[in-house]
Amino acid sequence: MAIFAELRRRNVLKVALLYAVASWLIDWFVGAIQSEVTVPVWTETFVYFVLAVGFPVALLFAWTYEITPAGLKKAADVDQTQSIVFKTGQKLNAAVAVLLVLGVLAVFGQRLLPTFEFLVPGVPEGDAPMSSRVPADIRSLTLDNGLRIIVWPDHDIPNVAMYNFVRAGGRNEYPGITGLSHFFEHMMFLGTENLAPGEFDSTMEAAGGANNAYTSADVTVYMDWFPRSALETIFEIEADRFQNLVTVTDSFQSEREVVYSERRSRIDDNNFWKLAEQVQATAFVAHPYQFTVIGWPSDIEAWTEEDLARYYQTYYAPNNRTIVITGDVTTGEIFALAEKHFAPIPAQDPPPAIRTVEPEQLGERRIVVEASAQTPLLHMAFHAGSASSAETLPMRLLLNILAGGESARLHRSLVEDEDLVLSVDTYQDEGFDPGLVFFFLTLPPGGDPDVVEARMLEELRRVAEDGVSEAELAKARNIILADFWRGLSTINGKAAAIGQYEVFHGNYESLFNLPDALAAVTADDLRNAAAEVFRRKNMTVGVLQEPGAEEVE
Amino acid sequence: MSQLHRLCLLFICCFCGGLAFSQGVTLPDVHHVELENGVVFILHEKRDVPLIGIEAIIRGGAVTDPAGKAGLSSLLASLLEKGAGDRDAATFAEAVDAVGGSLSASADLEAITISGEFLSRDAELMIELLTDMLQRPALNAAEMKKLRDRRINLIRAAKDSDPRPLVPVYGSAFLFGEHPYGTAVDGNEESLAKITHRDLSGYYSDFVGADRLIIALAGDFDAAAMADSLTVAFGDWRPAEQPLPEVEAPATQEARRVLLVDKPGATQSYFWIGNVGVSINFPQRAELDIANTLFGGRFTSLLVDELRTKAGLTYSARSILLRPARAGSVAIVSYTKTDTTVVAIDLALSLLAKIREEGFSDDMILSGKNYILGQYPPQLETAAQLAGQFAELEALGLDASFIDDYGAAVAGASGEDVRSVITDVYPPVDNLVFVILGDAELIREDVAKFGPITEIAITEPRFRP
Repeated sequence: MAIFAELRRRNVLKVALLYAVASWLIDWFVGAIQSEVTVPVWTETFVYFVLAVGFPVALLFAWTYEITPAGLKKAADVDQTQSIVFKTGQKLNAAVAVLLVLGVLAVFGQRLLPTFEFLVPGVPEGDAPMSSRVPADIRSLTLDNGLRIIVWPDHDIPNVAMYNFVRAGGRNEYPGITGLSHFFEHMMFLGTENLAPGEFDSTMEAAGGANNAYTSADVTVYMDWFPRSALETIFEIEADRFQNLVTVTDSFQSEREVVYSERRSRIDDNNFWKLAEQVQATAFVAHPYQFTVIGWPSDIEAWTEEDLARYYQTYYAPNNRTIVITGDVTTGEIFALAEKHFAPIPAQDPPPAIRTVEPEQLGERRIVVEASAQTPLLHMAFHAGSASSAETLPMRLLLNILAGGESARLHRSLVEDEDLVLSVDTYQDEGFDPGLVFFFLTLPPGGDPDVVEARMLEELRRVAEDGVSEAELAKARNIILADFWRGLSTINGKAAAIGQYEVFHGNYESLFNLPDALAAVTADDLRNAAAEVFRRKNMTVGVLQEPGAEEVE
Repeated sequence: MSQLHRLCLLFICCFCGGLAFSQGVTLPDVHHVELENGVVFILHEKRDVPLIGIEAIIRGGAVTDPAGKAGLSSLLASLLEKGAGDRDAATFAEAVDAVGGSLSASADLEAITISGEFLSRDAELMIELLTDMLQRPALNAAEMKKLRDRRINLIRAAKDSDPRPLVPVYGSAFLFGEHPYGTAVDGNEESLAKITHRDLSGYYSDFVGADRLIIALAGDFDAAAMADSLTVAFGDWRPAEQPLPEVEAPATQEARRVLLVDKPGATQSYFWIGNVGVSINFPQRAELDIANTLFGGRFTSLLVDELRTKAGLTYSARSILLRPARAGSVAIVSYTKTDTTVVAIDLALSLLAKIREEGFSDDMILSGKNYILGQYPPQLETAAQLAGQFAELEALGLDASFIDDYGAAVAGASGEDVRSVITDVYPPVDNLVFVILGDAELIREDVAKFGPITEIAITEPRFRP
């Protein structure tokens, strides 16, 4: 009891009360500030930390020192008869009362008092989806500089996926700069005016994040996966590299070698891509889809720093990009971060349109690639639609029926029943401009590409004439629908899918139409798509085999 | 957060004396059922999307392949899909595809695994197919021969393609030799050709059975009802006839030896440099993961930084740990254009020597910890991932603490322990096994400096001399 009485006498309890009330007020103030202006995400934690550390310090101080008319003295040294602790206590009481009144006024009278809204514009709320099929918590926003941002909160795991789509790819290239889009993807990791080469990655990884990027014929996509705690850091370094990239750098030459190494392992030492690259280049005579995305070797050796600077300004402008963020975030905090970090980046003139339209193919095209090979390869490509063409979804279903799995037609006939090929796979371009539909077949040693091609043409003719059964169509729908749900079961899959539809279909909401769109496709649509696309005149055939294999025949 | 909550938090912080964020991942509670015949079910309800993830594991795997018949367990796994119960191969595939499901079997070193995903409305079909695959496979002789011959040719096709996936296969084969861990899981051209239908059906009764089956399900279903139907389906199944073989711990390799795999016309040399490493039960898993993250497990790792970012020698460089039930392997993998083969390998070796001597700074260790913890949650995000994790833990005899305590172990690892684990696990540069795949004629003389060379052509029908 003696200690308690002494605690009271030395005003320690009153200091504790004052500290609590003051902390409450400070906490309210931080909360109020946060909802009005963007402060770093760690501000709140930091304030708590300071207040928490300060609490025992304040108590200890109150216990140890005493206010006297002569100033601050150690309590033990003060003559008890001269002590004015009672007066100090009164002052403390008054301070508590004043703070309490202020606090009550502030908290309860908040709406009556002037707020920060006069000084700082509020965070935009973004647009809610129009369709009721779309998850209601998705929001989209277009900044004044044209940068579009879509946010889909998902609090399942404490992580975030951020996809940054840049509308630049192989189709924006021409002879001399083929592969530049992909090389630029590498340059985006090599330093800015603020970060040394490698610092973008070391900052991200030290904050618990990881990233990757890919380049296609249409787009370059930058992906970040990180814990929620790294949100502010990621916005800072992403905004930095989209604004302050250094395109003249010592790393330029060595990175050229890195890309060349990538090309050698993916293409030059890999028969599949060695052939696929040649088929692509043969199927197009005019449109830039003919260029290999990684670039022809002579161009890899020859890009200049000026090429890079021009590319950056034109294609990496905010009005040519779309960002998708999914995961453990709120739309409010993302739009606030976007306003702070991305809004200051100026818009640029839109990139030049791709004017060239691939002319109608006038007859079948054939190429042979000679390479050391135990197993010959046969690739067949047909001109088809773009991502937004009406026949693209029927074609996706059709390809699934033909080669989408163990029970697919071509797998059953050519692989299982006739033992003609080791595997058959398909791929459909779904880009901005009309692309190709491919069939990739791997033959057993000694297999005859002519025999396989003849059987393929027979099967394709059959589907173009007789179409598919309702059971086959239902199966393909189910497979695509299950893939759709599987894709949406991760934050990464959500970001990828939303971005794909926003960029290639012009509206992310159309992603959620897929179940209905699949149901609306008829067997006739599939037959019509087959008849339109699978024509010999529309076909490019490529064969890879040992040198001299043809003469042996 | 309400004002009150924040205030409470404030004072909680006060008494904790600091801020500690829990950063680990905790496995959810599961229904764990063990039947009398030894079958184990692990069931977890997760109802966010209408999907069910399934993973069934039969312990055993490639280490149970008879001598000279590598690929037998893998071939059997694939054959389980080629007809079962009343369905032949075509009808079985049709049944899975018709509902948009997936169900596929494969083998690895120590297990046959059947993984699948179905819409929850098709749960009954899924159980029926799984039961048939395991208990009533057709094991049709014609299907077996077709599959075996195709497998042989697919290995030839792989040898015509990207060399990167092949190099670790040569690596394990050359490092472990006749030890079961040297088995090429999918076999080689020679071993597959020797496998007969009799081998296959014998293997099925000897090594597939209830006593070594684990089934994990996660997703949108009722656990009690699911446990009942699984019990009906598997309660009477027979055990396997042979015990699982004991695998001895492989011996660490002394000195150096080099396997040169000749791929004429290759533009690059692809290398694998390693030795015997540690098992899944290695006690300092967290420290080792931190070390490997920093050495060659992420983009800013030492190997990538030096070989790729600074020197431009390669597109990729990694250090890879394989941790089976006994000591597996630890290896550096990378590649470079033919005329920088020696430069790149020398650099990789100097980095190995460097980490053994200097370890990593405390700053780097902190960065590595954050990276591991930050990248962990997405690995256990979906029902299928959870099912896989439950089944694997059970198969290895590990409990949930393997996951639950991992975050704290990573966060709490000391710099000193990380440094000491490096000298324990990463081999000294004098004791290394090298595999170099490239155009032998152009590099044969130069790579002789790394150790005595054994050379084989890529077309030879096996992965070691």
